[in-house]
Amino acid sequence: MGNAMDRMSLIKPPRALLVKFARGSMFGEPGNVSRQRRIILDALTALKTMTVPGTITELPYRWKRSDPE
Amino acid sequence: MSLNLEKFRAEYDRWVGESLPDYLAGKMEHIVKKYPFITPDDIPWTPYIGKPAAQKFGLITSGGLYLKDSQVPFDTSSIHGDTSYRELPKKVRQEDVGIAHKHYDHSLAKQDLNIIYPIQRFVELEEEGIIGRLADVNYSLSYVNDAVTLVEKTVPQLIKGIREQSIDVMFLVPV
Repeated sequence: MGNAMDRMSLIKPPRALLVKFARGSMFGEPGNVSRQRRIILDALTALKTMTVPGTITELPYRWKRSDPE
Repeated sequence: MSLNLEKFRAEYDRWVGESLPDYLAGKMEHIVKKYPFITPDDIPWTPYIGKPAAQKFGLITSGGLYLKDSQVPFDTSSIHGDTSYRELPKKVRQEDVGIAHKHYDHSLAKQDLNIIYPIQRFVELEEEGIIGRLADVNYSLSYVNDAVTLVEKTVPQLIKGIREQSIDVMFLVPV
């Protein structure tokens, strides 16, 4: 995973999820267990769905906002 | 994957020379913009095969985590960073872990380590059978600028440990 598209485009990870959270809180607010779990499940799904090298998918989660259904 | 380490080494040595005064003055944003990132010629790729429920997962963070009672903290003073890593047991508790990394705010991770190292969530997924196993030993790096030593020395050591544990999938959390 990563949080900085400019750096990720230089480093070229094989597959990655992009989050919109700051350094030091890659999974969002402390204690948001359901979001932490969802991000990992998103990653497990991405293992199967990302079939093109270099794919980076932005996740929809935002700081102190409810997660999408 | 092809990396031109010699080209990077020359650019990196120049960056260190030019950036050291700003680094010592704590002007990180200024020097980060000039850092000569290594860009690989191609994208490394291993197709995913299998099912998470039948596989072993491992976790790496770059949050600078170490075991307070038994491990030396990372070097947080050098402009080169610290190219070593720490092994963290699967059953590590929040109170066991220190953070040695000067370049991010630790206050949120001290409330909930899982936002930079989601170990509890992986343990739960293992207990539920969503993943097959979580590795007994997982890893933390810290702040690193010296990518040559990282690539030539640290990464081979990490890969050796990952292979010895027969880990199928690594989950990387940069911090």
